[in-house]
Amino acid sequence: MKTDIQIAICGSAGEGTIAAGDILRNALAGAGYRVISFDAYPAEIRGFGKCVARLRVTTEQAYSLKEKSDVLVCLNDEHGIPHVGEVRDFGAVIYEAKSIVHLAEGSHVSGHIRPAQVPYPLAIRELSERATGAIRSRNMVVLGYIAGLFHLAKEPFEKIINTKFKGKGKAAEDNHKAFDAGYETGAATFKLDDVNFGPPGKGLQAVMLNGNAAVAKGCLDAGIDNFFGYPITPATTIMERLAVEMPKRGKRLLQTEDEIAAISTTIGAGYTGARSATATSGPGLALMSEMLGLGIMAEVPSVVFVSQRGGPSTGIPTKTEQSDLNIAIYGGHGDAPRIVLAPTNVEGCYRCAGKAFEMAERYQTPVIVLLDLYLSNRYETVVMPAKPPFEPNCDKPVPKGDLGAGYKRFGFTEDDVSPRALPGMAGGMHVVTGLEHNELGRVNEQPEMHEAMSRKRHDKLKAALQHPDFTHYKRFGDEGRVDVGILAWGSTVGECLEVMFLAHLEGIACAVMKVVMLSPFPTEAVAAFMDDCDAVLVPELNYQGQFAHLIQAETGRPVHRYNRVTGTPMRVEDIMAQVRRLAKTATRKAA
Amino acid sequence: MKTAAPRHHVIVGSGVAGAQAARTLRAREPEARISMLTLASLPFYNRYDLPQVFRGRQDWHQFLVDPPEYYTENRIELRRCTQVANVDSQRKVITLGHNEEMHYDTLVVASGGRSYLPEELSEFRHLLDGFGSYEQAMVVRRKVPEGGTVMLLGGDMIGLDLARTLLDTGHKVVLVTDEHTFWPHQVTDDEKKELLTVLERMGVEIIAGDCEGGIDAIQEGAKGLPARRVIFGGGRDRYADVIMPFYGLHPSVEFMLGSGVDIERGLLVKKSLRTTNDAIWAAGDVCQIWSDEEKRYRFYYGWKNVRAMGELAARNITGEDEAFEPTQDESLHIHDGVTIHSPFWEYA
Repeated sequence: MKTDIQIAICGSAGEGTIAAGDILRNALAGAGYRVISFDAYPAEIRGFGKCVARLRVTTEQAYSLKEKSDVLVCLNDEHGIPHVGEVRDFGAVIYEAKSIVHLAEGSHVSGHIRPAQVPYPLAIRELSERATGAIRSRNMVVLGYIAGLFHLAKEPFEKIINTKFKGKGKAAEDNHKAFDAGYETGAATFKLDDVNFGPPGKGLQAVMLNGNAAVAKGCLDAGIDNFFGYPITPATTIMERLAVEMPKRGKRLLQTEDEIAAISTTIGAGYTGARSATATSGPGLALMSEMLGLGIMAEVPSVVFVSQRGGPSTGIPTKTEQSDLNIAIYGGHGDAPRIVLAPTNVEGCYRCAGKAFEMAERYQTPVIVLLDLYLSNRYETVVMPAKPPFEPNCDKPVPKGDLGAGYKRFGFTEDDVSPRALPGMAGGMHVVTGLEHNELGRVNEQPEMHEAMSRKRHDKLKAALQHPDFTHYKRFGDEGRVDVGILAWGSTVGECLEVMFLAHLEGIACAVMKVVMLSPFPTEAVAAFMDDCDAVLVPELNYQGQFAHLIQAETGRPVHRYNRVTGTPMRVEDIMAQVRRLAKTATRKAA
Repeated sequence: MKTAAPRHHVIVGSGVAGAQAARTLRAREPEARISMLTLASLPFYNRYDLPQVFRGRQDWHQFLVDPPEYYTENRIELRRCTQVANVDSQRKVITLGHNEEMHYDTLVVASGGRSYLPEELSEFRHLLDGFGSYEQAMVVRRKVPEGGTVMLLGGDMIGLDLARTLLDTGHKVVLVTDEHTFWPHQVTDDEKKELLTVLERMGVEIIAGDCEGGIDAIQEGAKGLPARRVIFGGGRDRYADVIMPFYGLHPSVEFMLGSGVDIERGLLVKKSLRTTNDAIWAAGDVCQIWSDEEKRYRFYYGWKNVRAMGELAARNITGEDEAFEPTQDESLHIHDGVTIHSPFWEYA
């Protein structure tokens, strides 16, 4: 029996909602299921705002969360009520059966459950108190209840609880007791919903990672030497992970005083030949843009991970958006070409992170890896390669004969990439400056030189479009002519793939092209894809249609835009509505 | 011109009476807000059909009288798994078990009855199984093996209805009789004797509870034997896979205590089904209606009576002034000397 179940846990900040989701996804992944999950949480740390942990558990590959959940757990009435409608018919709604405060009419979850949904009132608070003497283990009670109700094995949960609360004495003991209390209650509850877990897939040796963790792993596997960063949501956990792992490997990580220092030190370290990176979000990238220009002008390798959030300014810092595409590609003064990669799933975060170091070295330029909050925080079960698929050194060495007084650090070459001497290399002394320069690196403002160097800085990146062992773009779905083609980037690709499967079920010829390398842009491939499409849809999480602009600028062809800026991931049903609309138009035209 | 706000009719209970009251209220007062509160997990379903679980009908959807969308389409706010804690008739406010308050303009109490369990058996409650809900029916179905034995204590007509199906489906039925046997029918000793003979002919094993000294204890069965053991006062014992009490119904009125409405065993109502509070009405197994003939308040059971009560309460709430007239035949029949038939087993 195939399993495809989405569980949502909703509560207030500080109630352990996200922790419950974390244990649940890890336990289910540990049991052998595939899991994809995403947490939504407020900017405030405790006591305010809504947290929602959603996870989709499958035995087959899934690409995004589903529109409707099969199970909703409400730890808090106020926050839970708006989500009851998200539960499908004959799905389960689990909620606190007893309130300790008087509730006004309509303010309890039970009043919002549709007749086709199945209610499971649970004395969450009471069970926690009875099991542990306190109410703070309510999240463990509901985890136990889920496990008991849906006949899930206890062991994976116990293992994760042990790991999570290792060395925390009574907290670990209490959480086990609360879990057991919930489990017994769940197992004794008569199940009326039609949510059934089949056996997990066999032989899936997967790990559970979110996008930021995958980036950190990609950095480590690519041999990162230095990381410099300044904390900012939603990128901070990249630095947090690396701060734990890098010292173990003799590598260095420094929290700088701000983002300008972070990019400056990253470029400085990159100049020495060390693999170096920083991570930030949109506001930090804005601060870094001037120094990125130096990296481009001085042709110094560096990697910048950018996890987008809702903007501009401080914006909606704990909500997702894809609105930093423009600044990533074009941000900064002058003609400042750079490589921009946008992974589309967690595994892609790992690969793009590692490949970014290769590309930065090979093309001697800053590389921006563009994530967003949804992807940074989205957990997926990922099958990791047996050994890291990254080249440890992609530098272009200086032929011995070229070193010496006449060494041309910025010499014009066939591929426009100049052999790079590192500091301390005998005969490799040269000038590095942010001013325009000649092949030796010396300041030169002659019109011909500026033109030649500008061309060199642009043209050397073209080779990145053929960078080996890297998926620059990929077409999915129907071959040949299609009614609707979807061009997608970043975290939205998963939803687009789910839409494509739905479209096929409805008899709509549909294909998706994901574009991972956004700069330089794979114009020919994208144009060829567009040639096959009666209509091209570009769904993205920004108001302007930044990717659509880019496509139109690069290909000169029209696209249909679909833009949302709600701070939440794209909804499959919303994109599907656009596909249906466009498919009808295409059919009418054909007729 | 100022228009009065639509009234809020709250119905406690989602059985035959409550469902009919909601249906009639919606038809007669389209603008009204109607809330239906029930302890049940499922929307209104046919409890009369529950023995069918032994004939293979086990999906709860098949027991629903109205599909889930009926409630949405008719704007009936159905609150399941919802207990009513108390009713403040002065403020016209109900407090629900989870501490939520709900205002009403009119209240229809149709909370029905739950299985009555004699006090002397209460300590064995955990070893007994009920048959009052879909969930309980399914639990019993899962516990009873093919050809297994079910022991019915008391033996009201709900239990005997189940007994018919159990016999038909190859199970053994043991009936431990007492004064509740054949409830709610009122039968003479001679009639009872004759009826028990017919039951024996049908295949029911009869144990006269009184003759055996009553039930002394109920225990879990020993390994390799059926799951339950009943020990009688006289020393005799009998094993069964499941033991089920069928001692009639006890009206569910606890939440009405303190509401100011007169209660004897059930809610006392006039023939209009209005209680002693003008805004509160009652219908179904929960209410005792004044009988001019018998000069007492009495219960009326059976699908037809109960449904008629639900309809009448709703009609009177919406402007009529009609009196309840029982329509249900209350006599127990013997067919050809080999089967019994109760009108309380019938439903429309």
